[in-house]
Amino acid sequence: MNVVSQISTDTSSSFAAQPGPIEQVRYACALGALTSVIAVEGAIPITHCGPGCASKQFHALSGISGYQGGEFHVPSTNIGNKEVIFGGADRLDELITSTLKVMEAELYVVQSGCIPGLVGDDVENLVKGYQRRGVPIVFAETLGYRGTNFTGHETVVKAIIEQYVAKQPAVPKRTGLVNVWALLPYQNPFWRGDLTEIRRILEGIGLEVNILFGPASEGLSEWRAIPSAAVNLVLGPWLGLSIARDLEAAYDQTTLHIPALPVGARATAAFLRKVGDHAGLDRRKVDAFIAREEKTYYHYLRDFAQFYAGCTSQYRLPSEVNIVADSAYALAVAKFLVGDLGLNPGVVVITENPPESERAAIRAAFRDLAPGIDADPLFESDGHKAHAAIRAHPRVGELPIVFGSTWETGIAGEIDAPLVEISYPVTDEVVLSRSYIGYRGALQLIERTYTTVVRQSTEENPEGTAL
Amino acid sequence: MAINLRTPQAETRDQRLGTITQWDGPASQLAKDSAFTFGCGRDCGPGGKRLCELNSPYSQASMCAEQIAVTNATIIKDTVVIQHSPIGCASSQSFTSRYSRDLAARRGWKPEDPKSICTNLGEQDMVFGGVDRLAETIRDAYERHHPRVIFVATSCATGIIGDDVDGTARQLEDELGIPIVALHCEGFKSRHWSSGWDVIEHGILRRLVPNRTHEKNPDLLNVIHLGGPDVFTPLVGPLGLKVNLIMGGNSLERLADLSTAAATVTMCFVLSYLATGLEQEYGVPEIRAPLPYGQDATDNWLRDIARVTQREHLVEAVIASERARIAPELERLRGLLKGKKGFVAAGAAFAHGLIADLRELGVTVDDAYSFHHDPSTDSGDPEQDSLGHLIQTTGEIENFTVSPDQHFQTHAALKRSNPDFVICRHSGTTATLAGRLGIPVLPIFYSNDGLGYEGLLTIGRAILRVLPRRRFYEDVAAHSAFPYQPWWLEQTNPYALDTAEAAE
Repeated sequence: MNVVSQISTDTSSSFAAQPGPIEQVRYACALGALTSVIAVEGAIPITHCGPGCASKQFHALSGISGYQGGEFHVPSTNIGNKEVIFGGADRLDELITSTLKVMEAELYVVQSGCIPGLVGDDVENLVKGYQRRGVPIVFAETLGYRGTNFTGHETVVKAIIEQYVAKQPAVPKRTGLVNVWALLPYQNPFWRGDLTEIRRILEGIGLEVNILFGPASEGLSEWRAIPSAAVNLVLGPWLGLSIARDLEAAYDQTTLHIPALPVGARATAAFLRKVGDHAGLDRRKVDAFIAREEKTYYHYLRDFAQFYAGCTSQYRLPSEVNIVADSAYALAVAKFLVGDLGLNPGVVVITENPPESERAAIRAAFRDLAPGIDADPLFESDGHKAHAAIRAHPRVGELPIVFGSTWETGIAGEIDAPLVEISYPVTDEVVLSRSYIGYRGALQLIERTYTTVVRQSTEENPEGTAL
Repeated sequence: MAINLRTPQAETRDQRLGTITQWDGPASQLAKDSAFTFGCGRDCGPGGKRLCELNSPYSQASMCAEQIAVTNATIIKDTVVIQHSPIGCASSQSFTSRYSRDLAARRGWKPEDPKSICTNLGEQDMVFGGVDRLAETIRDAYERHHPRVIFVATSCATGIIGDDVDGTARQLEDELGIPIVALHCEGFKSRHWSSGWDVIEHGILRRLVPNRTHEKNPDLLNVIHLGGPDVFTPLVGPLGLKVNLIMGGNSLERLADLSTAAATVTMCFVLSYLATGLEQEYGVPEIRAPLPYGQDATDNWLRDIARVTQREHLVEAVIASERARIAPELERLRGLLKGKKGFVAAGAAFAHGLIADLRELGVTVDDAYSFHHDPSTDSGDPEQDSLGHLIQTTGEIENFTVSPDQHFQTHAALKRSNPDFVICRHSGTTATLAGRLGIPVLPIFYSNDGLGYEGLLTIGRAILRVLPRRRFYEDVAAHSAFPYQPWWLEQTNPYALDTAEAAE
């Protein structure tokens, strides 16, 4: 069969599939970014792909990962033999027309998968036809072989900004309004709670926030207000950076990049001061909010100290933190467990195949987790190799704990470590609004961590093992 | 039409059986048209016409054959499945792993992650071909896990770029000395995901079932099911039969025993490819009696098994004792379910079976929804016309919708039906939708739940457990909405769009 495939020249061109096979898959393909569209209230993806593609990406990301659920009634061409042989543009045209008859949305995002890329359907021109007729519709090329749901997310976001937001009537600038580019919706099972906490603390210091995704967002009205913002806050090691750079150029905005999602009072206070200073807020107002939050936070920490000091617990409190996760959570959790709770860093594996260009910076962010204490992350998407690294790590006298995905169940058992599920896939947790970042999230992370420790100690050591 | 095992590629069920995915009307018409179109085996009187499929211009994301084939290959023990695809096809690995661990718990196996590896194809591979990556992955799989069999599943992408998967598999088979079985399961090739069952059963039949007919075991009964707990041993054990449970996580030994069995039963005719193939290739008779849903059907099914395996002298006592055993509880359940209206959504023969169960429990079923319809089976035997049998024994189903799990059509069908509860499989769409409409829903994950005498009790009790959840679902329904246009929200004809287009 003929292959009409152009090598990409668009924003996802920095993507390269990790060489070598991948066992225990930890992300989806670029089409999986349809979950980012679903995460925007009022937007609907229209997928041009094979019959199982869209549902597989959605169910993998939303179902078998914290059982997040979500709205799934996504239009799809469900490409068959006929479209593969004769081309699928007519079928997509028919689908878009009928979608407009049946569904009601503020924005439609057409996403193409592997097949239209390979057979050469001209989706862009087809969608432009609808745009000319005033239909709120954009096109994002999310070919499965050309990226992951991370790069697909950036492609989708840029498509919405360039083809929808930019076409809206001009809006006045609002100083104190911030666009937040943080966690990848659905991929991170705690994104809903985390974005809610980020919004809460940023509003707490007096900012207005476009959080853009999930239940804490106002939906597309926030997207239309993106040009009004003064600042793009990129919160995480790399995801969203290229979006912010584009916006900076287009709308005279600044970018504030903070690689580590803040977990706990120390990191969150530093984070809020940095954001506040960047946005030109009154430092006293910022400090007042921090003081109020810290009062509550440290009340809980004071009481938890009783457990952590050991006088009420006979459990094997872990001393070495091993992490297998996307770079965003790997960094956030490492900083908190090492920097705040006083564990030693073990093996850290970063699984989402971040762009080569960002890896040195990610590595650097793992230095000085606590003064003088570094971790040296391994970039590896293949579970088999990740586990080999954890297995081979020398640990004398350490009691390890693993923060990872369900795939780490076996290796955690092998090294006799409790497992806290924080990264995709999370099949053994039901997650609704739980968060692990900020002030409130840190407390929940402590709860989850030490509940897991207690349960594991109890199950395996019914008599209790005091070491 | 005979099953063709000479080619590595299974013919799709669209081609073999004339499978359709879009239809709406009274079930009797569907049965009649199917019979008229395929062989005139039953009910082929006047008024029959060629089965005519509808064609909705609107469609929502469905499912593909690859997922069925890969999932069911992955859970076979001592094997590794290689998904020769871009990474997205392999994102279902987490589901398969969860499924596998759940199965292990129910069947008493050691829980472990099933082994599957993705070749992780990128753009360069699309341009230059992915067979080198495939060869490398097969070697890695062997080194990592020392499997006894490796499956290689294709994808839409590798099908289109034309990678020679069979050639690579043959070459590596020579190199490594273990069977490497290609599963041709490109999603675009069939209109229905159930073709994935044929793909995996084709692979098993071609490569993993040695001819051991000379070692006949007259007590061994092959049972091909979708997966789940063994409800069959209690049913046929009293006849002195030993169950060889196939699919849903086999050992390779079980597969190797297939040709030695006295007979094969299939728990859903959607899976009958393997049973028909075993009869064709090894003379293992396929039991064709209607599936054991409801007491009468179970009686006859047991009698047919007893006849074929020559133990008719035992069967009547088993039937009488089972009927007596469940009678009091069945009465209790009928009393509690009296006056309730149910809505069934499942795949073809499985849906027909659930309807029979509900009707025997005293539940009214006027509406049902089948994810596809096979007008024929591979054996071509009208005995396996499960829809015709259902109508003959339990009566008409006024509104029978065929649709591949389409949310918008299910919405219309549920509005038309307004049931007290929904019972469904492939729960992703239907179950969520029903719940969101305020309707209690019983999703059937393990499809053996409704089988045999005990199945009536299992289903009856499960329905009673979900009915009180109406309190939760109604609360959610009152506080959420679906993004359909108002005219569609009012619609009660699942194919209204098709009709409207035709009228234009």
